[in-house]
Amino acid sequence: MSSPEESAAAPMVELTNVTKTFHRGAETLTVLDGLSLSIAEGSFEALMGPSGSGKSTLLNLVAGLDRATSGGVRVAGQDLTAMTDGDLAAFRARYIGFIFQSYNLMPVLTALENVELPLLLTKLPSADRKRRAATALRVVGLEDRADHYPRQLSGGQEQRVAIARALVNDPKIIVADEPTGDLDRKSADQILALLEKLNKDFKKTVVMVTHDPEAASHARVTHHLNKGAFQ
Amino acid sequence: MNLASLATRNVGRNRFRTTLTLLGVAVAVVAFVMLRTVISSMEVAVTHAAHDRIGIRHKVSFVMQLPRRYIDTVRQTPGVHSATWANWFGGKDPRNPREFFPTLAVDPASFLDVYDEVAVSPADRERWLADRQGAIVGDQLARLLRLRVGDTITLSGTIYPGNWVFHVSGIYTATRRSMDRSEFLFHWDYLNNALPERRRDQIGWIIARVDDPSRASGVSAAIDRTFDVQDIQTLSMSERSMNLSFMGMMSGLLAAINAISGIILLILLMLFGNTMSMGVRERTQEYGVLRALGFLPKHIAGFILGEAAALGLAAGVLGLALSYPLVQYGLGRWLEENMGSLVPYFRIETSTAAQALGFSLLLGVASALIPAVRASRLTVTDALRRID
Amino acid sequence: MVPVSYSVRNLMVRRTTTAATALGIGLVVFVFASVLMLGAGLQRAMGRSGSADVAIVLRAGSDAESSSGIELPAAGLVTASPEVRVRPDGRSDAVGEVVGVLALDRAGGEGMSNVQVRGVPDDVYRFRPSVHVVAGRAAAPGSDEVVVGAAIRGRFRGVDLGQSFEIKKNRRVRVVGVIEDRGSSFESEVWGDIDTVRAAFGREALVSSVRVGLRSAGQLDAFKRAIETNPQLGLTVKRESVYYEELAQGTTTFLTILGLMIAFFFSAGAMIGAMITMHASVAQRSREIGTLRALGFSRRSILASFLFESVVLSLAGGVVGALASLAMGLVRFNIVNFATWSEVVFTFVPTPSIVVSSLLFAALMGLLGGFFPAVRAARMNVLDALRA
Repeated sequence: MSSPEESAAAPMVELTNVTKTFHRGAETLTVLDGLSLSIAEGSFEALMGPSGSGKSTLLNLVAGLDRATSGGVRVAGQDLTAMTDGDLAAFRARYIGFIFQSYNLMPVLTALENVELPLLLTKLPSADRKRRAATALRVVGLEDRADHYPRQLSGGQEQRVAIARALVNDPKIIVADEPTGDLDRKSADQILALLEKLNKDFKKTVVMVTHDPEAASHARVTHHLNKGAFQ
Repeated sequence: MNLASLATRNVGRNRFRTTLTLLGVAVAVVAFVMLRTVISSMEVAVTHAAHDRIGIRHKVSFVMQLPRRYIDTVRQTPGVHSATWANWFGGKDPRNPREFFPTLAVDPASFLDVYDEVAVSPADRERWLADRQGAIVGDQLARLLRLRVGDTITLSGTIYPGNWVFHVSGIYTATRRSMDRSEFLFHWDYLNNALPERRRDQIGWIIARVDDPSRASGVSAAIDRTFDVQDIQTLSMSERSMNLSFMGMMSGLLAAINAISGIILLILLMLFGNTMSMGVRERTQEYGVLRALGFLPKHIAGFILGEAAALGLAAGVLGLALSYPLVQYGLGRWLEENMGSLVPYFRIETSTAAQALGFSLLLGVASALIPAVRASRLTVTDALRRID
Repeated sequence: MVPVSYSVRNLMVRRTTTAATALGIGLVVFVFASVLMLGAGLQRAMGRSGSADVAIVLRAGSDAESSSGIELPAAGLVTASPEVRVRPDGRSDAVGEVVGVLALDRAGGEGMSNVQVRGVPDDVYRFRPSVHVVAGRAAAPGSDEVVVGAAIRGRFRGVDLGQSFEIKKNRRVRVVGVIEDRGSSFESEVWGDIDTVRAAFGREALVSSVRVGLRSAGQLDAFKRAIETNPQLGLTVKRESVYYEELAQGTTTFLTILGLMIAFFFSAGAMIGAMITMHASVAQRSREIGTLRALGFSRRSILASFLFESVVLSLAGGVVGALASLAMGLVRFNIVNFATWSEVVFTFVPTPSIVVSSLLFAALMGLLGGFFPAVRAARMNVLDALRA
C-alpha cells in the first residue's frame, strides 16, 4: 500500500507542535510539550536525554505505538493522527522496523522463526517467507544460527536477530529504543555498525533513542531532549 | 511456522506448571469419567432393555406372589408370543456369605425361549433341562464363586429356609446387555416340590414376550384388565419401564453423582483459569512486542485462546489415556466381579469419553476468555512497559 | 522469622490467582465435607434404628424382616422368655410386627418406588419411646388409619396428613399422623394397624419379626442360645444394632467405595492446584527471596513463610467450602437399601467434628501442595535469586 502522497521532497518524519500528556490519578503529567521535529528520508538520527525526558514517548509516536494528545504526526507520508488502532497496526507492519533494548525475541521460536514472525501478517506463501527470513539473517551475519533458540544465543546475537526481524518486511524506518543498552562495548559496536549499514546500504531512515554518547556519535544528527522539549 | 503453532508452543513454556496443570486436569478427567461411567453402567439396564418383553407382577408389591395359573391366562392374551415365570429365591453361598447375587427359580425351557440373549452351549442346555437339581450360572458369578460345570453347590435360602443342593449344569453368557451375567438360575419345579402344600404353586412374576414391540403397552394394559376382576391384581410394564422405575429408586444417588460431576467441571475451570491467567500475565510484554510488529488485538486473543485450546485438548487426551486403564480395566473389572448385579457392564461409553474430551477443550478455552480479552485490550505501550 | 503479614499480603496482591485457587480448594473441601456428612446421615438412618439391649428375632435364614415370617405361637414363646424385660403393667417388653413392601407412585409423578409398611400393635410407642407423633395423632387401634414417617411425608401420592392411599385393591388407608425418630429409618416407613397390614399382605396368623427388650444388653447370648437351640422354632436372634448394620452393609459399602474414590481424586486435584499457585508465587518473587536472604533471613524461615502462605491459602478455601457444605444439611437424599429394596430417606448431617476435619484436610492439602515450592524457595542461591 504505497501512498500517492509520498514524495522525495517531503521529510520521512514530521512532528508539528506535538503535545503528550499522561494522567496518573488526579495528576496530569506533560511528557512532550509543543515539540516539533523533522527527519529527512535516509537520515540516521539519535535522540538523547535523561530518564523522563520524553525520548521514548517521542519514539513511540514516530513508530505509531502511541498517539499524540495534540499536534500533527506524519510518518512516511501517512497522517498518523487520523488513524484507527487497526490502521496503526497495519502502518507499523508496513513501514516500521522496531528494535528494543531487551531484544524481545519469542523464546519459543528459533532465530529464523523469530525473523519470519512479521511476515505472518502478509499473504506471502510459507516458502517465500522462509526465504526472506533467511536473507535477513544473512544480512546480520547469523545464517549459521538459524535453528538456534534465543536462549542459545549471546546478547549481541539476539540483538542481531532482532535487527533481522526489523528488516524483514522491508520497512521505511528503523526505530531503535536503546539498542545497545544491555550490551557490552564490543557487541554494541557490532550493532551500531549494522545500523549504519542499514542506513547507508539499504537506505533505511534510522531513529534511535540512546543515552550512550558513543552510540549517538554514529548518527548524523543528535537531538537532545529535556523535560519534553529540545534543548 | 504459522500462528497456530506459535500459540501451541507457549503451552510448553513453563514446563513445571504445564505438567502440574495437565496432571491436575487429567485427575479431574479420570474422576469425571469414573462418575459418568457409574451412571452409564447403571443405565445399561434401561438403555439395553429388550423392547419386546413385559414384566407382570403383583400390583401391591414385588414381594407378593401370583397364582401359577396366571401364566396360562397371560399366554392366551392376544399379542403375547411366549411367556415364562420366575421366583426370587434369595440364595446365599454359605462359603461366601457377603456376596450378593440374584438367585432365581425359573422354568428352564420357556425361560431360555423368552430370554433368547442367554447364551448357553447345547450340551449345557441339555444337561440343565434333564437335571431337576441343575442350575446355570452367569460367567461373572461363576468366576466370583469359582464354580465349574459339574460342581455341586449348597445354597442357604433366605426366603425359602433350609439348605438347597444344586448341580452346576452350565455357564451362560449374554449376547446382549439386557441380561445380567451374574445370576444363578435353577428349576422352579425343584423349589415348588420341596415346599409345604400351602406355599406351592406361587410364582414371583411373569415375563412375556410380545409379537410386536410397538404394541407392548396395549398388551400390558390388556393383561392388567383381565386380572382386575380377580382377587389378585397385576401391574404390567415393559422391561424398560421396569428398569426405569428401578433407576428412579436410585435417583438420589444419581443426582448426587451428577452434582459432583458438575463440581469437577468447575474445578477444571479453576485449574485452567489459574494457569492461563498466570501465563498471560507473564507474557504481557511479548504481546506488546507482537502488537508493535503490527499484530492486531484479535491476533493476541487468538494466540491466548489457541494456547488454552491446546492445553485443554492435551489435558483431556491425557486424562482419557489414564481413564481407560484405571476405570475400565482396574476399577471396572473389580466392580463387575464384585458388584456385578448392580453394575454388570462397567465400561466407558464412547459418549462419556467424547464428553470428557469436549469439556476439557471447552473449559480450557472458556477459562482463557477473560485473560484473552484483557490482554488484547491493553495498549501497546502499556503492554511493553508491563515488565520493564 | 519472616513476618506473618508478609505471607498474607502476598496472597492479597495476587488476588485473582489466590481467589481461583482458594475457590478450587473450597470446592474440594465442600465435596469432602458433604461425603462425610452423607456418611453421618447414613449412619444415623441405619444405625440409630437399633439399640444394644434390644434383640430381634427372625425366621432362620432370613436376613430382612420383609422376607421373614414367625407363627404366632412361636412368637408367644419368644416373648415369654425369662431374659425379656417386664413392664410395670406385667406384660413383656416386646413387640411383634408384620412388615411388607408397598409400591407407591412418586408425588412428582415420575414412576414408583418401594416403601416399607409396618403393621404395629397398639403398644408400639411404649416399646419405642423415641418415636414421636409430630403432626396429627396416632392411628386408632384396629382401624384403617396409618401414620407415616416424616422423611417420606409428601414424597408419594397420598402419603401426607389427611390424604389416603390404597394398601390393597379397594382397601384405602388414611394418613392421620406423622412420626419422627431422630432421623432413623422408621422415618421412611408407613405404620398401620397390625391386622390391617396382615390382611393386605396375606400374612394371617404370622408376624414378620419379634423384638424384645432384654433385662440387660449382656443377656443377649443367653437369650440367643435359648431360642436358636430350640429346633421346633427355627428362629434366629440378632442384636438389633447388628441387624441394622448388616442390613445397611451393601448400601454403605457402595457409598463408602464411591466416597473414598471421590475423596482421593479430589484431594489430589486440590494439592496440585495449591502447588501450581505456590510455584508461581515462588518463581515471581525470586528477587524478593534473594533480598530476604541477603538481609539475613535463614533458609528455614523462608521455608516456613512459604508453607504458611500455602496453608493460609488453603484454609481460606477450606472455610468457604466448609461453610457452604453446612447448607447441605437442608438437602434430603433418598437411596435404596439393597437388602430390602425399599427406599430410605436421610439427610446430610453436619457435625462439629466434620467441620474440623474438613479444615484440617484443607490445611493438609496446603501443606503438601506448598511443600515442594517452599523447598525450592528455601534452596535458592542468594546471588542467583537476586540476579533473576
